[in-house]
Amino acid sequence: MNNSTPYLQIQHLRKSFGSFTALDDISLEIKEGEFICFLGPSGCGKTTLLRAIAGLEQQEEGRIVQAGGDISTLPPQQRDFGIVFQSYALFPNLTVSENIAYGLANMKMPRRERQQRVEALLAQIHLPEIGDKFPGQLSGGQQQRVALARALATEPGLLLLDEPLSALDARVRLHLRNEICALQRKLGITTIMVTHDQDEALTMADRIVVMDHGRIAQVGTPEEIYRQPATEFVARFVGSMNLLPAEVLNHRSLMLGCKEVQVPMVLPVCDQGTLGFRPENVQLQNGPWGLDREEDLVLQARLDQVHFMGAFVRLEMTLDQDLPPIHADLPLEQLHSQKPAVGESLWLSVCREALKFYPAEQQGRDKRPARLLEQGMRMDVAAMQVAGA
Amino acid sequence: MSATLSLAAGKRGFDSETWLQRLIVAAGVLFLLLALLAPLLTMLVKSLQNGAGEFIGISNFVDYFGNPALTRSILNSLNIAVWTTLIVVSTAFVFAYALTRSGMVAKKGFRLLSMLPLFAPSLLPALSMIYLFGNQGILKDWLPVDSIYGPVGIVMGLSFWAFPHALMILITAFSNSDARLYEAAKSMKTPPWRVFLTVTLPSVRYGLINTIFVIFTLTITDFGVAKVIGGQYNVLATDIYKQVVGQQNFQMGAVVSVILLLPALISFVVERRVQRHQSAQLSSRAVPMQPQKSPLRDGLLALFCTLICGFLLLVIGMAVYASFITFWPYNMELSFNNYRFDMMDGGGWASYFNSLQMSAWTAVIGTAVVFLVAYMSEKIKPMPTARKLLQLLAMLPMAVPGIVLGLAYIFFFNHPQNPLNGIYGTMTILVLNTLVHFYTVCHLTAVTSLKQIDGEFEAVSASLKVPFYTTLRRVTLPLALPSVLDISVYLFVNAMTTVSAVVFLYSSDTTLASVAVMHMDEAGDIAPAAAMAVLLMLTSLVAKGLHWMISHQILQRTQRWRQR
Repeated sequence: MNNSTPYLQIQHLRKSFGSFTALDDISLEIKEGEFICFLGPSGCGKTTLLRAIAGLEQQEEGRIVQAGGDISTLPPQQRDFGIVFQSYALFPNLTVSENIAYGLANMKMPRRERQQRVEALLAQIHLPEIGDKFPGQLSGGQQQRVALARALATEPGLLLLDEPLSALDARVRLHLRNEICALQRKLGITTIMVTHDQDEALTMADRIVVMDHGRIAQVGTPEEIYRQPATEFVARFVGSMNLLPAEVLNHRSLMLGCKEVQVPMVLPVCDQGTLGFRPENVQLQNGPWGLDREEDLVLQARLDQVHFMGAFVRLEMTLDQDLPPIHADLPLEQLHSQKPAVGESLWLSVCREALKFYPAEQQGRDKRPARLLEQGMRMDVAAMQVAGA
Repeated sequence: MSATLSLAAGKRGFDSETWLQRLIVAAGVLFLLLALLAPLLTMLVKSLQNGAGEFIGISNFVDYFGNPALTRSILNSLNIAVWTTLIVVSTAFVFAYALTRSGMVAKKGFRLLSMLPLFAPSLLPALSMIYLFGNQGILKDWLPVDSIYGPVGIVMGLSFWAFPHALMILITAFSNSDARLYEAAKSMKTPPWRVFLTVTLPSVRYGLINTIFVIFTLTITDFGVAKVIGGQYNVLATDIYKQVVGQQNFQMGAVVSVILLLPALISFVVERRVQRHQSAQLSSRAVPMQPQKSPLRDGLLALFCTLICGFLLLVIGMAVYASFITFWPYNMELSFNNYRFDMMDGGGWASYFNSLQMSAWTAVIGTAVVFLVAYMSEKIKPMPTARKLLQLLAMLPMAVPGIVLGLAYIFFFNHPQNPLNGIYGTMTILVLNTLVHFYTVCHLTAVTSLKQIDGEFEAVSASLKVPFYTTLRRVTLPLALPSVLDISVYLFVNAMTTVSAVVFLYSSDTTLASVAVMHMDEAGDIAPAAAMAVLLMLTSLVAKGLHWMISHQILQRTQRWRQR
């Protein structure tokens, strides 16, 4: 198979549970050997999509093509995949070796060869000595590695990981992240992982599929997703971002709360929108002098609180009473050299490349006004919570 | 949506596994339709027909309600059920509290003794009552009423028999304690009586309501105790028997059955609703409570438990003792004379061996059927509607009194046009009837243990191309083995001791020991009846002991993985 035809094609997939739409017209192409993450909050449809690919859920509409063959209606046992669940799903009454060899038994593989294969897999997951133990005698991380070995034993063309790290504690999780990545690179197996943990997705994936309410919000490399979030939802979900509701005055200026602000970008034609920038892109300035308003957004805000975060400090500032607070992340050294005081008014700048503007979906053009309302409400709630704190 | 689904499923290539699953689900549904729903519906139809089989509307019911001799039984049954429920639930409540929440000594012993009535046929306490309080009873003078033959005897006998059923549910309810709530209450200096009212009582609320309905259903539908010791006091269950066996009036039997089915169905529906609440009550983070010692309270509770267990032992002991008395009360010498069953009515020793055979078959076949049906309804994907139906049908037997089910079987399987009428009068119909009669509890046990098994095992096996029956054999069945053994011994013990359903269904070749107890009592041979009842209890206890030993052995050998 050459690189131009995708290994897995998903076309217009649709699935609902009663009145709840889990998958809403999903189309996606995955190349051979890619590591893909489905990222999104719970209930966004990412697990349903994974289960549809596995044949564990039957879609109502749409096609799935794997390695050139239409698998849309095949039952799971006739598809080609290995799967790892959050709960490990290891058979507790079988030893580790028996678990790994479970799928090899009906491949008519000679016993000797089967044994060798199990040993090779145990070596691959760096647990060579545990073949005779039962799953209950292993730690969570070890169990999940055995589950991975079991899924890989039959050499499937596609590896599906359903929140494989969510049940583990933080340290084990970090370690296993690297191990899964290394194994995937080594074997070159096409892999799809479902996760709600953005760090996991950003560090592990070749490409991330961000999902929201049964739809794909954005597909891109981790860097694209982080630096160029396509929608307000993606911006809000991946990393932290200052998102300020704004009224558009003309193509170069905005109303933020009750302040008029000139922006170093050309705004789209609309009435309302959200201005976004990441906290680490905020620069602390001594004053408004020497700043080019064609290159930078310049703001003045009152410092409310300083949060120590370890490697950096997060400044919490008020631009306007009606707006959510602005966060700015500074290296410790800069804090020590500038020593901003709480209550003081600070000058901030954000360079043009770091600014995002998301026009509000408007009536008429908007397909789902209810959702917009809900998002708006969520933002108000967030603002209220911050104000309350 | 289901239309698109079935369309999509229809497009799938031939997939032998899915077809096998469908076949088993269909067989399960067919089994419960034929062995449960069809007989009950036949009985409903019969209640609307005259003796010649013509449809006469509700005139049977009009006749019934026009006859005060018959309608009095409704009040009698309610009276018995209310009193028994009151006595059993209140004593079991205190008993369960003592076992779970107090620092009382000898809890294990009390618990073991309190379970003894489960192994006795319900006729045993009734026979025991005759020896204790009957006309020649040893404690006759203690009885505050004129005669034990009547409501007092029935309530006492039923209380003995229903006690462990109430106790088991209440112990479970009391075990779900959360120590953190008690610590919080204590830290706020709450007096103990207020802790009891605001923490303890709410936490067992659902269990308590559940117990009340279960005991009410058990007692209002009971046949055995009322038959032996009811005397002239008629209740609904004995009315059915008298109409059918005494007067051959099958239509009126059907009418009374329909009437008896009503309270059972109502309390069944209420109980299911309550059950739904209970499951979500306890959070997984709850910390189980360690009972504290408190000499005065513990002493009083121990005294109470001793009294209760004393009563239970007195009833059992009396039956055992009486069964060895040569000729009560004239020749008090001990002998085995009463165990010469071949000299008596009821089929003799043959009936005992028939009972053994019937119980063994019920245990073996029943366990297989129950487990397979529960597996299909819990763990597989195809045919969601059929599986819903299966779950619903599996719950229904709980609401059907044994005597009603037995009568329904006569109507359905003895019908000349029924192709299945060949099984009438054979061992097969007894096994089938007993299995259906006790189906629900077994089904629930199996479902509970299957729910505890990871739901993704089937998905993993499918991804590894291993057929579902291999995973069922290699993983699911070994994991559920303890509950499978529980189901088999439950079926065996109940098949051994039940009277109500099979009383209409045995033939001269398939007489049963429990029915023989009833017949010997009818014929006035009370001592041999007691002897047979004791023998049945002993057999059940031996079966339970064997079950304990076997499961202990098997678990040690095959469940090495359970040890950490």
